[in-house]
Order: sequence, then C-alpha cells, then structure tokens
Amino acid sequence: MVGQQLVNGLFLGAVYALFAIGYTLVFGVLDILNLAHAAIFMLAAFATWSLLGAGLPFWLAAPIAIAGAGVLGIVLDRIAFAPLRRRAAPNLIPLISSIGMAIIFGAIARGIYGPDERQFALAFLQTPPLHAGPLTFTIVQLVILGSAIAFMLGLAWVMRATALGRAIRAVAEDRVAAALLGIDLERTIGATFFIASALGGLAGILTALQYNSVQIDMGGQIELKGLAVIVLGGMGSITGAVIGGFVIGMVETLAVAFGLSEWRDAISYGVMFLILIVRPTGLFGKRSLRTA
Amino acid sequence: MKRPVFFAFALAATCALIPTAVVGPSLAATTKGPAAGKTVKVGVIADVTGSAAVYGVQQKDAYELANDDLKSGLLDAGGANLSFDVEDAASDGNQVANLFQKFTTDGTALILGPTLSGEARKGDPIAVAAKTAVVGTSTTADGITSLGPCVFRVSLSEAQVVPATVAHTKAVWKYKTAAIIYGDDNAFTKTDGDIFKTQLEKAGVSIVDTETFHVGDKDFAASLTKIKAAKPDVIVLGALAEEAEKIIQQASTLGIKTHMMGGNGLNSTKIYDYAGPAAAGVVVGAAWSINGNYTGNKSFVERFKKRYGVEPDQFGAQAYAAAQLVAQLVKEGKATKDEMCPALRELRVAQTVLGPIAFDPGRDVSAAPVILQIEKGGFAYFH
Repeated sequence: MVGQQLVNGLFLGAVYALFAIGYTLVFGVLDILNLAHAAIFMLAAFATWSLLGAGLPFWLAAPIAIAGAGVLGIVLDRIAFAPLRRRAAPNLIPLISSIGMAIIFGAIARGIYGPDERQFALAFLQTPPLHAGPLTFTIVQLVILGSAIAFMLGLAWVMRATALGRAIRAVAEDRVAAALLGIDLERTIGATFFIASALGGLAGILTALQYNSVQIDMGGQIELKGLAVIVLGGMGSITGAVIGGFVIGMVETLAVAFGLSEWRDAISYGVMFLILIVRPTGLFGKRSLRTA
Repeated sequence: MKRPVFFAFALAATCALIPTAVVGPSLAATTKGPAAGKTVKVGVIADVTGSAAVYGVQQKDAYELANDDLKSGLLDAGGANLSFDVEDAASDGNQVANLFQKFTTDGTALILGPTLSGEARKGDPIAVAAKTAVVGTSTTADGITSLGPCVFRVSLSEAQVVPATVAHTKAVWKYKTAAIIYGDDNAFTKTDGDIFKTQLEKAGVSIVDTETFHVGDKDFAASLTKIKAAKPDVIVLGALAEEAEKIIQQASTLGIKTHMMGGNGLNSTKIYDYAGPAAAGVVVGAAWSINGNYTGNKSFVERFKKRYGVEPDQFGAQAYAAAQLVAQLVKEGKATKDEMCPALRELRVAQTVLGPIAFDPGRDVSAAPVILQIEKGGFAYFH
C-alpha cells in the first residue's frame, strides 16, 4: 500500500508542479501574481474539447489549444498588466486586475459551455491501467509525470542557454538595467507570458485528461494549491515550483494514507508554514521581496 | 457571475398574460376550479449557475417545462394563471437570502427551493419570519423541515432512503464489513456519511475504514488505496454525482471490485455516462426512478429529453413533482400566501412523477424509496 500511495503522491504532485511552473515564471519576471493563470488552465482544456468535437485529432487539437493559451497570455498581459506597468502601479493593482480578467474569462467560458462537466471521447483514455508489481497507474498519469519533468528541464535549458532566457533573467533581475542594455522589455515580458500561459494550458489539458473532466471551476480548485506550491518552492523559482508541487502532492497523499483525510489540506498548508519558518524564502527562493 | 434568468422572467410574464384558453389545442382538459382567472405566482430559487448548477439547471428546466405544460393544459391548475418564476441563486448563500427577501415581499404565494440544504438553512428562516410556505425539492439533510412550521420538502431525506438501502443490500450481498468515503464539507454528503455509518452499525456491520474528501476534489487515489488495503465487503459513497463518478472510475482503475452503494446523490445519469462500465453494479438508494410508471413520469421523461437533449435526473423529477403538487393545490382553489401552508399540511395525497406523495406531521414527504442498480448504462430496480 505504501508503494502505491507514493505513486499516487507522485502523480498528484506532477499536476501541481505543471500548473505552478507558469505561475512562478510570471512572478519571477514581474514580481506579480497572475491570478488569471487558473482561468487559462481551464480555457485550454475547453478549447481542446471543442477542437476534438470539431473533428480534429488529439495530436493537433492539443498543440493548437496550448498555442492559443500562450496567445491568450499575451493578450492578458496587454490588457491587464501592460497599462499598469507603464504607470508603475503598485503590485497589488495588477493582482486585482488579474482577478478581474479571471472572472471575465470564466464568464465567457460559462456563457459558451454552461455549467456541465465535459468529457473526452478518446480511445487512449479507455486503455486498461498498467501494473508494475503491486503498483497501478494509467498511461495519462505517466504522460503527466513525463511532461512535468520534460518541461522543467526544457524551461531550465531555455532560461540558461538561449538569448530569450538570458533576456528574461535580465529583466527579472533589473528591468531598467536590462532596458539600458538594449533588451526589448515589452517583447521579453510578452514572451514570458506566452511561455507561462502555454504551460498553464498544457497543465489544464493534462489535468482534464487525467480525470477525464473539463469544468468551469477546474482552475479554482488548483489555484490555491498552486500558490502554496510556489511559496513553498520559493517564489519565482522554476525548480522550486516543481519540487514544491511534488512535496505538496506527496504530503496530501500521505496525510490520507496515515488516516488523516479530514486534515489533508490543513496538513499540507501546515508543512508549508513549517518550511517557511526554517527557510523564509521557500526551498529554492534566493531573494526576499525587494525593499527599494 | 450572477446571471439573472431573463428567459424565465419572460416566460413567466408571458404565462401570466396569455389566458390558457387561447393557447393551442389542449392535450388534457383544463378544468374551471375555484381559483379560475386568479394569478398565482410561485417563486423558485435554484442554483442555475455556480458550483451547484448541475442540479439547479435540471430544476430550472423542469419548471420551464411545467410552465409550458400549464399553457398547453398538460398540467391542470383549474383555470388559474399559475406560473413558476425561476431565479438564479448562483450557488451563493447571500444571493439565496436576497431571493428569499424578494419572494417574501412581492406577492409570491409559495417558494420552491433552494437547491442545497446549506442554502435552506440560510434562506428558509426568512420565509418563516414572513409566514411564507417553502417546499424544498432537493434539500435532504437532517433538520431542514424543523426550520419552521411551514417548511416542507418533497425530497425524501437520506434518513428515509438510507435504512431501506442498507436493509436491502445487506439481505442480498450479505456483507459484514464496510468502508465509507464521504464529503465532509457539504451538508448533504456529511449527513449521508453519518446516516450510512449509523445504519450499518445498527445492522451489525463493522466499519473498517472511513475516508473524507472535499466537494470539488478530483483525485481520490490516496483514499481508495487505503480502502483497498482495508478489504471491506462493501464501499459506501456519501457523495454527489460529480465526485461519485470519479470515485467509481478511479476505484476501477485501482482494481477495486468491491460492491458499492450510495444515496440520492448518485441518482444521476452522469454516473454511468462518466464512469461507463466501472459503474455497473453500483446500488443507489433514491427517491425516483427514470423508469417509474407514476403519474406523468414517462411523458415527463420523454418531453424533457426532447426539449433539452438530456435525460432528466432526480433533481429535475422532484422539481416537476413540486410543480404537479402546486398545480393540484391551485386547482383546489388555494391561490394566496395565507392559504398555501394550511393546504400543504392538510394535503392527503398528490399524484406526481415520484408516485403518490403526502407530508408526515414533521412536514417531510411520505413516499417509498426506490433501490436502483446501475446496469448496462441505465438504472434498473435492485433485486
């Protein structure tokens, strides 16, 4: 049983990690929380469902929806964040602005799709579960785990080895200095939003596949967990988001395994507090909030 | 987020303006009763949007169908201009309270709803203070009708459904141990879990594991892995459809083949639509069967499917039953707020899609529960 519970925790953690990577990326660059991330997560899942309904194969529908999520991220930045950035608004304002956008996105989705849960009619979701000794898991769970690891490594590579990654890191470090060095601020921020939102969209699609469930409120349920994950992992740290995701997933699963299902959420947030007491910047956070 | 139901408004207004006599050929004869010509407005509070919308939309659809049936004569209100005015509570307690305020001050004769037991606890006291009768159609938690002397419900409570379910399944499956998984943050699912536990223990069944979840959870792997290790003879689900379907599906993925059963929350076509073959064999104690032969049920199911493209579930059926009950009262001449509460108390029997119903002295519905089993993508009676 313990082995299966560790596997359960690993898969749950992978979902949290994938969601949190995009969340933390935007924070790392702009020092703001993008609370519309969960809405994009939901919209990408619905877009995939619609494209499949229109007859597209999954291998085409999912990338289109992911790219669409990325573009929506850029639109989000242009509408909700860029105007405030130009006026140097305090950090709380874009936070509220992103909540507003999340509500608008939610209302649009509700208008189009209504409140009912949707499902994918995909043959590969019906494949029987796999067994490895006493352990049971599904192909989709493996894909999610693989994706979380692959995208973490991919993103780490982009951030370290490409011009775009260097530009993003420079902007994150000091926006004014980066601009003086000739980095196009708005393009870099736009690219950050594209990557973060595309990853959010991917997380939404994979989560919808794992539970075969597309719902208007699917983002709201993961949003708070995502916040706990990035705080625990260290705000702005991609490695932190991934490790934090696995820690929260594992803690939740083990809380249930030890017979404390009614305390599950309280325990995972309790662990977050404990880690913050020992390391106030989270597991992988390097800096505290800038004071000047 | 809070979308007023303009369509329902328009429909209700149209119903009030057009005398039934001039609307098309009547399928059933509309009689002239003591309330003929009077206008009777019934307020409906349903969660058409928000987290409980999966139930509220069925309720709204059932009342809109009832409004149509009043016009066509399929529902006979004795020549009165009866209409159901559906308002969206948006799964929001404050909105529920606002709507109760509205309906207790605008000449509404009777209030039907709200969708959830927790909402009833918030809103019903407002109606009680204003001496307006309330009939719940989906509130099944303990103590709802104790909120006031004019609070009724047509929904069989879990306290009525669960004992029959346990007795029946124990006789057939002969189980000795059980595991319970229930939602601990929702009045209905918590009540369900508690009543199942009490009834199972009373029947000499030992509870080998109890797991809780939150409404909206999607991942039940950890709890189910623990239940599997406890090797119960039967698994009890205190859940609403959206969580139950995932629990059933994920249990199947984990290789759990144990008998499963639940209460009213599982009486939804969503269970087998979603969980597919994994749902086969699950037993559901409920208030209504889609295959029932009671008054107007077959016709209701067919017309509902035709109009909305989906099958009605228990929430829709109970709402329609309330509409049948109200039409009967109005046909008998009860048209005002002051007449409704005594009329409901004195009701001998109303013929509805749920079967013949009446109210016991505690204002709970008296009706027989049905024990159903999911078979080949549908509900059948459990034998």
